[in-house]
Amino acid sequence: MKKTQQMLIAILLSALSVLASAETAVIVAAGNGNGSMDSATISKIFLGKSKSFPDGSQAIAVDQADGNPAREAFNDKVLGKSGSQLKSYWSRLIFTGKGTPPKQYADDAAVKAAVAADPNTIGYIDAASVDGSVKVVGKF
Amino acid sequence: MKKISALSLLTVAISAAAPAAQAGDLNINGFLSVGASMLDKNDAEIAGADNQGGFKQDTILGLQVSKQVNDSTSLTGQLVSRGSDNYSTEAAWAFVTYSANDELDLRMGRLRIPAFYYSDFLEVGYTYNSIRPAEEVYRIPFSSIDGVDLAQRFSSGDIDGTVQVYYGRYQGDFESNGTVYEADFRNVTGISVSANMGNFGSRLSYNQGELNLGSPAPTGTGLAVAQGSANGLAFLYGDSSAAEDFNISGQTSSFIEAALTYDDGTYSVLAEWTAFDHETSVLLDDQAWMVSAAMRMGEFTPHVRYSTQKDEFDSGVEGDIQKQFGLEADESSITLGLRYDYDSSTALKFEVQNHDEKTIGGADGDSVTLYSAAVDLVF
Repeated sequence: MKKTQQMLIAILLSALSVLASAETAVIVAAGNGNGSMDSATISKIFLGKSKSFPDGSQAIAVDQADGNPAREAFNDKVLGKSGSQLKSYWSRLIFTGKGTPPKQYADDAAVKAAVAADPNTIGYIDAASVDGSVKVVGKF
Repeated sequence: MKKISALSLLTVAISAAAPAAQAGDLNINGFLSVGASMLDKNDAEIAGADNQGGFKQDTILGLQVSKQVNDSTSLTGQLVSRGSDNYSTEAAWAFVTYSANDELDLRMGRLRIPAFYYSDFLEVGYTYNSIRPAEEVYRIPFSSIDGVDLAQRFSSGDIDGTVQVYYGRYQGDFESNGTVYEADFRNVTGISVSANMGNFGSRLSYNQGELNLGSPAPTGTGLAVAQGSANGLAFLYGDSSAAEDFNISGQTSSFIEAALTYDDGTYSVLAEWTAFDHETSVLLDDQAWMVSAAMRMGEFTPHVRYSTQKDEFDSGVEGDIQKQFGLEADESSITLGLRYDYDSSTALKFEVQNHDEKTIGGADGDSVTLYSAAVDLVF
C-alpha cells in the first residue's frame, strides 16, 4: 500500500516537472516592434476583445489546432479557460455575428511560419520550437 | 407546404454553402440540441412537456452562414428550426454588419432583441449549463425584430464591455395565456449595457415597444374577452374611463433587466432580475428573477437554479377589474442539473425541475416535476 502511494507520488511529481518544463512561448514576427506583453494583453487579443498591439498596430491572433498540447497549455496558463469554456465563449459570439475565433494552424511549425510571414500576427508555440524567424513576447 | 419550403431552404443553404466552404470567405456554423422530457403528472405547464414523455420540445437545429464581403462589411443569416414550433423554420437572424471601426458595429436586418442576458445565444444550448433558460424569467414570446442596432465596445483598464442600442418593429404571432394574436409591435427600441471586470460581469437593459394586437380569437378566453368585458365592468364600477386602460393597441410596454455574473473558472453564478410594465391593463405587470450557480469539476458541471415569476395588479379600479379575469400567475421552479462535456463541442445534460404554480389563471395551482435529458452540440 505504502509502495503504491510512493509510486503515485513519484509519477505525479514527474508529470508535474514535465508540465513545468514545457513552457509556452508567445511569438510575433521578428520584425514586430512590440516588446514583452503580459497575459492580460495577450488574452484580450486571443479572445477578440482587442484588435491591436500595445503600439497600436493591428493584431491578428493565430491559434493551434484543437487537441494540440501547446493549445491546451496556452488555454490553461494564459487564457485560464478549458477547451469547452472557450468553445462556449466563441459560440456566443459566432451565433450573434459578433466575432470569429482565430484561425487555427496544424502545429508549432505552421504557426511559426504564419507568424514569421506577417508582422500583424501573434501566435504561441512550445518554447523549444522557437528560432530566429520569430520574437518571443511572453513565456508562460 | 410550410415545412417543405423550410426544409428546402435548409437544403439549399447547405448545398449552396458546401462548395463555397472551401473558398475560405464563407463561414458555416451550426448548433443542434436534441432533448427528451417527461412530467410526473399533467397538473401544471412547463417547457411544453407532459406525462407521456416527448422528444420534440427541446429539439432545435440552427444553421448559420456568414460571409465577409470586405474589410468592413459582413452578412450573417441564421435559420432556426424548433421542435416546439413543429419544426417550422424561421430566420432568427439575417443582417448586414458594417464595422465603422474596431469598436463600433452597425447592423441592419433581422436581429435578436437584447432583452435578456441569454438573448443573443438563447437557442445555442451548448453555451450554457441548463437544458433551457428559466421559463419563468425568459417569458417574452418573440425574440427577433426587423430593424437596426448599433454596438459600441469599450475597454478601459481591467473593464471591457458593450453598449448596444436598437430600433425596429415586430410583426407576427404573439401568444398570451394560450391565445395567439396577430401582433404588430411598433417602435420597439432599447439599450443594453454589459461590462466585465475580471471574474465579474454585469448587464442592464431597458426595452420598450408600442403594443398593437389585432385579430383576437373570435371566441374563447384571453385578452380579447378581457378587453371586451373590461368595458362593462368599468361601467359597473362606476368608472367608465377605466375601460380605456384596457385597450390593446397603441399602448406602450416596457421591460427592464439587470444581471450579475461571476465566473472564476470553477464556480459560476448568474443572477438576473426582470420586470414588465404594461400601459394596457389587459396585460399584467410582473417581476421575475432567477439565481443559478454551477461548479465545474473537469468534464462535469453540476448546477442548481431557482427561478420565479409573479404578476402584479394595477392599483384602483383597473386592478379590481384585472382580478376578475383570472389571468394572474405566481410560479417558481427549482432545477438541479448536471452537464457533462463529452468533447469540446458536445455536451450531455440531465435535469430535474420542480415547478410550483402557486397561482395560475387566478386560481390555486399544482406542483409538478420535470425530468429532462439533452445533447447539445455546436459545429
